Amino acid sequence: MSLAHFEVHQPTSLAQALDLLSAHRADARVLCGGTDLVPKLKAGVIAIGHLISLKRVPELDHVSFSPDQGLVIGGAARLSDVAEAPGVAENYPGLAHACSVMATTQIRHMGTVAGNIANAAPSGDTAAPLLVHDAVINVVGPGGRRSIPLADFFAGPGASVLDSLEIIETITAPAPQKPCGSQYLRLSARSLVDIAAVGVAALIALDGAGRVNRCRLAMAAVAPTPRRCPEAEALLEGKTPDAGLIAAAAQALSAASCPIDDVRSSAAYRQQMVGVLARRALEHSLKLAQGGAQ
Amino acid sequence: MAKQNIELIVNGDRYTVAVDPWRTLAEVLREELNLTGTKVGCNQGDCGACTVIMDGRSVSSCLTLAVEAHQRQITTIEGLAPSRTQLHPIQEAFVEAQAVQCGFCTSGMIMSAKNLLDHNPHPTEEEIRAGLSGNLCRCTGYVKIVEAIDLAAKKLDPAGAKEA
Amino acid sequence: MKTNPKLIGQSVPRLDAPQKVTGQAIYTDDIKLPGMLYCKMLTSPLPHARIKRIDVSKARALPGVKDVIIGEDTPKVKYGNWRLVPESQDELPLAVDKVRFVGDEVAAVAALDPEIAEKAISLIEVEYEELPALYTVEDSIADGAPLIHEESKGNVSLVRKINYGDVDGSFASAHYVREDTFRVHAVQHAYMEPCASIAAPDEGGRVTLWTSTQTPYIVQCLLASTLGIPENHVRVMKVAVGGGFGGKMELRPWEFCCAFMALRTGRPVKFLWSRKEDLSFGRRRHGMTLYSKIAFAKDGKLIAKDFQVLLDGGAYNAMGPTATFLCGTFGNMAYRLPAYRYFGRHVYTNKPPASAMRGFGAPQAYFAMESQFSMAAEEMGFDPIDLRIINAMEEGDVIPEVATVSTCGFKESLEKVRELSGWDEKRKNRQPGHGLGISAYSFISGGVFNWFNTKYNFSAAEVRVYDDGTAHLFSMACDIGQGPDTVLRQILAADLGLSIDKVRLTAMDTAQTPKADLGSWGSRVTLMNGNAILEATKKIKEMLIPVLFAEFDLNQIQDLAFEDDHIFVKSNPKKRMSFAQAVYKALRGRRGEPLVAQGYYTPRNKGLVSPAFSFGAQVAEVTVDQDTGLVKVDKIYTAHDCGVPINKKAVEGQLEGAIQMGLGYTLSEQFVMKDGRTLNSTFLDYKVPTALDMPPSESVEVETYEPEGPFGAKEAGEGLAIPTAAAIGHAVYEATGYRCKDLPITPEKVLRGLGKLK
Repeated sequence: MSLAHFEVHQPTSLAQALDLLSAHRADARVLCGGTDLVPKLKAGVIAIGHLISLKRVPELDHVSFSPDQGLVIGGAARLSDVAEAPGVAENYPGLAHACSVMATTQIRHMGTVAGNIANAAPSGDTAAPLLVHDAVINVVGPGGRRSIPLADFFAGPGASVLDSLEIIETITAPAPQKPCGSQYLRLSARSLVDIAAVGVAALIALDGAGRVNRCRLAMAAVAPTPRRCPEAEALLEGKTPDAGLIAAAAQALSAASCPIDDVRSSAAYRQQMVGVLARRALEHSLKLAQGGAQ
Repeated sequence: MAKQNIELIVNGDRYTVAVDPWRTLAEVLREELNLTGTKVGCNQGDCGACTVIMDGRSVSSCLTLAVEAHQRQITTIEGLAPSRTQLHPIQEAFVEAQAVQCGFCTSGMIMSAKNLLDHNPHPTEEEIRAGLSGNLCRCTGYVKIVEAIDLAAKKLDPAGAKEA
Repeated sequence: MKTNPKLIGQSVPRLDAPQKVTGQAIYTDDIKLPGMLYCKMLTSPLPHARIKRIDVSKARALPGVKDVIIGEDTPKVKYGNWRLVPESQDELPLAVDKVRFVGDEVAAVAALDPEIAEKAISLIEVEYEELPALYTVEDSIADGAPLIHEESKGNVSLVRKINYGDVDGSFASAHYVREDTFRVHAVQHAYMEPCASIAAPDEGGRVTLWTSTQTPYIVQCLLASTLGIPENHVRVMKVAVGGGFGGKMELRPWEFCCAFMALRTGRPVKFLWSRKEDLSFGRRRHGMTLYSKIAFAKDGKLIAKDFQVLLDGGAYNAMGPTATFLCGTFGNMAYRLPAYRYFGRHVYTNKPPASAMRGFGAPQAYFAMESQFSMAAEEMGFDPIDLRIINAMEEGDVIPEVATVSTCGFKESLEKVRELSGWDEKRKNRQPGHGLGISAYSFISGGVFNWFNTKYNFSAAEVRVYDDGTAHLFSMACDIGQGPDTVLRQILAADLGLSIDKVRLTAMDTAQTPKADLGSWGSRVTLMNGNAILEATKKIKEMLIPVLFAEFDLNQIQDLAFEDDHIFVKSNPKKRMSFAQAVYKALRGRRGEPLVAQGYYTPRNKGLVSPAFSFGAQVAEVTVDQDTGLVKVDKIYTAHDCGVPINKKAVEGQLEGAIQMGLGYTLSEQFVMKDGRTLNSTFLDYKVPTALDMPPSESVEVETYEPEGPFGAKEAGEGLAIPTAAAIGHAVYEATGYRCKDLPITPEKVLRGLGKLK
């Protein structure tokens, strides 16, 4: 199937990109990696007159980590850039894992984290690991800049609070408070070239007494949007973690999921797997935190 | 909507072509430049047959818009062999290890292998498998392809010359 | 064992590899011809409907459209590979009156570019009257079910029965009897090259077709009959083919439409199927419901089997009749079986037609049989390998009503795989969540049957030799990736003692290569074409031998050897002449008449099914995650008898690829269907195993010398695709206690089977 017809604009600055978006308004769409958009254009799912490519906007092409600034991912940073950037694997292992196993090598060389988030696919692999790190989406638009906590970003399958005239400028996440451990686990019938049927991310940070002072649990592909589960997190926060509490939190996350039956898996299986993965991710995160590995 | 004039730098050759903005790089390579060594197996970015190297990284040419490749350095399967009578070490290794059966995945496999070895000249077997996991093959079970890449790494190493 | 020329068994690098690694090999979609038009096809959106009206006027009026055709415009000749049974030929290139599955072809367009063609397709108006549709074999054979083809009562298009021995009596007196019903699913070939073809009009109403096929001769014949022109007016030409696995062995609608519109417009017409269409509408391996009852005597001897199979054929016969026939034959191939009853029915449903796929009825039949053997062994207290050895076929055994097994390395394969896998040791030290499973197989080396009703031999070769020391092989054999372009030259070079680079090949051109070749399927090519070549080279030798006898004044009792590009006296190698010189002298002696010889092969006096049988056994070692149900195959061990391997690495390549296909069949590949529509039509969701999914594997070859095969060779192409499912199934049972009788073994089924899914 050949693609529907459109024009491609390749601005070389953020200002140009915003101007182009405003000029074409409803008939325009931002093109990041294109790995999700191009298949949709081929399938005729989307028809659009103007694509504004961000691949030649230098202001957006960066990834960095520092203890002060935390993680800063530019809006055009590719998945492979993020996976390989210094500090990411050490501080955000779940995100590094997601960025190095999702889709294929070729697609990770093209696709961007910002694009993966902006798609707002329920199964987006980067969302859950970013959620547990309290990531913030910083956008810029005709009205200026604003920051949206990722937890408030998604509005439904394929929908977000991002305005069509806005561009994701950066995705930021604070440096994890230590000692801390985190992990992202995904389940699918095949190793790669795949979409997760279930994805769960966990984070545990401990205080000096070994109590959990922060717990985060997030899931993907098992609800209309990737989401955190404060009820499950609250079961561990302030407590000295043990197997029973972990099992209870995992169970709470499973109970809070509302997966559907689709070509990848059944709802019942997915829901149960949320619990299994959550338990494993929490156990692993706790071990990391206790070992001071981070 | 007018065609856009773009310059593609493919295997060191400069081509000026007028393309519709909705054409993929795979289409333009095959239909406009007659470089049909790049194969299209799924046209969805899932099979890896169309893999080319753009600015030093492997990409799916069926998901890349040709206009986005304007003035970028592209290497396709046709650009690997150093001469008409000589194969690139990865190509040699594929022949010697009998890593080729139907051949339809071969171009993409070799480009992914090149990407892997360019970034990681001494991959472990697991790293080779991960490096190939975006390329589907239905004939070989990947066994001899993995062997070929291991062999290619050894061929490329002694001379210390990573690039053809 | 006979001594073979040294080229036999050598892993000669594939001769087509240099072209393929440089991107120079030409596949169908790589071809562009001057004036070429692009074809697109309109398919049915409904699973079962009557066509009430088709209006192509808007499509025809679109600028750039050069031709639009519907069924009524065509000669309306039905086709199918079983020409011997005309009533089995149930397909038309374009539907007339009715559509029978989502994807059934209704119309075709030829236009200046693919986009115009696509646009024109969208402008064709079809009015359908929807009919009730059937999606399961059980529904299709139920009383009062609507008929998918009016002629086929009960929606059964073909029945095969086998009945010998006292089946019921044996069940009554047996020590142990078990019956099980297995359900296996449809999967797809997933060849990497999408289907494509180009037809070019030729002078005098003739047409040339380049097409991605494994059966050029069959396409030639059926294309001629559907077009209503002489066979000799159709030329099917060599192209590189990117895999087939059984999915490209029939005439397909686009081949007809390209040729038909090329003749109508006087311009070449090209068609390319998208992967989405292929996954949605393409041929598949038969899903089946298999009921099997088997009985054993106390000593472990299999005494009877009752095997009843419903094949889910989809909307048309395709290669289903052959699968129905063979499925019954595979039911009694590997083991001695004194009493056997088979009742196989090929059933229509409103789904994409099932057809041949690597193994052709065997993966399904052996999944049932081998699963039952493992279950029976456990319940009767036998080691599963021992029970198989007790019953294994041996050399000289007769498969009742089928054939005599001339070579058989089955018991040895079972023993070898036991040793290779560490079977005894590992079974003694079982770990929870970990298991070993075994499965075995036997397969055919080409078919004896001639349902295509060819009047020619099944395989043919023409060999020409020249005084520059080279030879030229003409063969219709079709390299779809499995390697005959190399292996057949290896056989020729070995027999004439030439170096392989001296052998030129012209293959797969129905206008130039000798008639006929039935194509690349049924694991027939090496044995049948190899034999045809050896008959031709024998004739060439007979032309050259007199030259040496005259030159050296040899005694009548002396024998000659052909080696190293020379011919010499065996007892006195100094008396030698270069091959080139011998051809030169023979040419002179024949006053310039070229040295050309043809050879043919058709299996005769070889029973009903095949001239030779392969055997093998496989052990799978798995670890099952008890919480998620995920099955990880840790290792695969295989021992198999493929006769003498002509090219060892080519044989290994067949095994390695077969394991990938078997793994996908067992664990990850399936179609998710709703109301006749396929929901997972991308490689993202149709999960072919990747390099990371593949387990390590070890194998040994048990060599036998098959007298019917060239240099002792038998098949190695399809048999190896058979055992993986039952081996993994058994291993999962050993690891968890869950016995899967319905493929694929998904994590969910494992958990549910263990009662762990709430």
